[in-house]
Amino acid sequence: MESKAGTTETRSNITASDGDQVAALESLQFTDEFHRLILAPPSDNATSLTALLELPASRALELLHSPASAKLIAASASSFEALKGNFLFPSNTTLIDQAARSSVFAGGVNNTNNKSNAPETTSNNATLNLEKAVKSEPAETESCQPLVSDPAVEKRNFKRKDREKKAKGSTKKSKTAANDSSDGPEKLPYVHVRARRGEATDSHSLAERARREKINARMKLLQELVPGCNKISGTALVLDEIINHVQSLQNQVEFLSMRLAAVNPRTDFNLNSIFTTESGSLPDSNFPSMVMPLIWPEVQVNGNKQQHQQQWQFDALQQPVWGREVCNNYITPENSLLSYDSSANSVAEVELFSSNGQWTTNKQRCMQIKLKMEL
Amino acid sequence: MDSQHLNPSSLKSRFTARFLRALIKINAQKPISSSSPREIFQRYRRIKVAADKSMAYSVRSRRTWSRATLWKLRSQSRRRLASSGRRSSIKTRTTTTTTITTTSTNHRAAIVEKTSHEKENKEDHVGLAVQAEELRELVPGGESMDLCNLLDETAHYIKCLTTQVQVMKKIANLYSLE
Repeated sequence: MESKAGTTETRSNITASDGDQVAALESLQFTDEFHRLILAPPSDNATSLTALLELPASRALELLHSPASAKLIAASASSFEALKGNFLFPSNTTLIDQAARSSVFAGGVNNTNNKSNAPETTSNNATLNLEKAVKSEPAETESCQPLVSDPAVEKRNFKRKDREKKAKGSTKKSKTAANDSSDGPEKLPYVHVRARRGEATDSHSLAERARREKINARMKLLQELVPGCNKISGTALVLDEIINHVQSLQNQVEFLSMRLAAVNPRTDFNLNSIFTTESGSLPDSNFPSMVMPLIWPEVQVNGNKQQHQQQWQFDALQQPVWGREVCNNYITPENSLLSYDSSANSVAEVELFSSNGQWTTNKQRCMQIKLKMEL
Repeated sequence: MDSQHLNPSSLKSRFTARFLRALIKINAQKPISSSSPREIFQRYRRIKVAADKSMAYSVRSRRTWSRATLWKLRSQSRRRLASSGRRSSIKTRTTTTTTITTTSTNHRAAIVEKTSHEKENKEDHVGLAVQAEELRELVPGGESMDLCNLLDETAHYIKCLTTQVQVMKKIANLYSLE
């Protein structure tokens, strides 16, 4: 029967369990309903998600008494994330098999735990245990937890922040006490900051220093991402570069979508050919061979365009504002295509964008685009 | 590097698949012979929305910016549907709409509460407030994040934008080639 199958599954899941019969029984019931919820894909994803959350709300109260339930929560977290994914997208059953993100559901269950009547100590232990497992992926947790708690009751959010602050306070104290992990055998995967000579050992300044180091580490990552940022020193200038880069990328997306809209009328689209050329063109070694046939027809088309310049000048002048504006910025994809260097392509484009001084031949480019549409 | 795109679950391939499907749908909708600026502008808007949406979907709401983008796009489409008076589609969307609105409002409430608590830690880099504000405007969903998470989101956002630009460029080249 299904219950027996659930039993065996949970017993195999909880490997480090103490054999606590109560926990096993509760987990049995939990997985039972859980599997039922998963295996019957709902017609309306939203209601299934809320139903699922109500289920853990009732079950998690009992489950969180035992630390062994963390493993079960890990198992259910994968399914939970699957349904969370289903909330937004068509169901993807492969997600159910991923035993990855225990932190997500642990965070969500942490919310529901706040409604329990359990004594503070045990629930604190449980939440701290969970949060220790959670904090191993701090970014994921923080980004996922709000979404997890959203369909739930609002008061959960406030209580969760209290818990988080308590945990943060405890972690801060653990930092200042230098590796004192009093609560359990699990160590917090935080950076343990040791006060250097002559620096303040205040908990505030230690925390600030840790934050600053985190921020500096992330700035380094960003510097690697943004081309040309390695030489710049100073956070403000680097941030300026990053802002420029993001703006240029967003503009590029706009222009490319404009280009796709303009080019669409005269082409017959073949999905298979796109995919084969996509997969074939991406390796760098094939790039020159891909580039050359692209340049060649462009050059030819440009030759034609030059002849029709005069004819279209009048038209371009009467374009609506949006057309001119887009044409202004439209230079760069054209330029980049013509100057399609295999090695320095993206860098050249970014430089063209960030220089912002190339918007001279607006009308000519507008005409080129109009010609492209006509062809 | 070689197998990065051939990996079917990479960001690039996910985005490519979704975006191409959306493009085909957009092509099928409108008559191909239209070349008036208005039509092109409408199609441009649709393509841009499709591009942003497919990128946000490929990230699967693991990131704040993708969630913010999805929420913004959905509210925009809802507003457009409401204005065009298509009752049937509104009805089917009401359930998802209400959950999404509650999602977003709770999300924002939670985030705002969290940042108000963390305000005392926010002024680490006092001189970078201006750039931080600019970055917050640029990155979707960045209004209510501390600098640390904002930089995280920015890094991921830049990576996804570069992917998007690469793919769209290739598609545009292939279009102009045919």
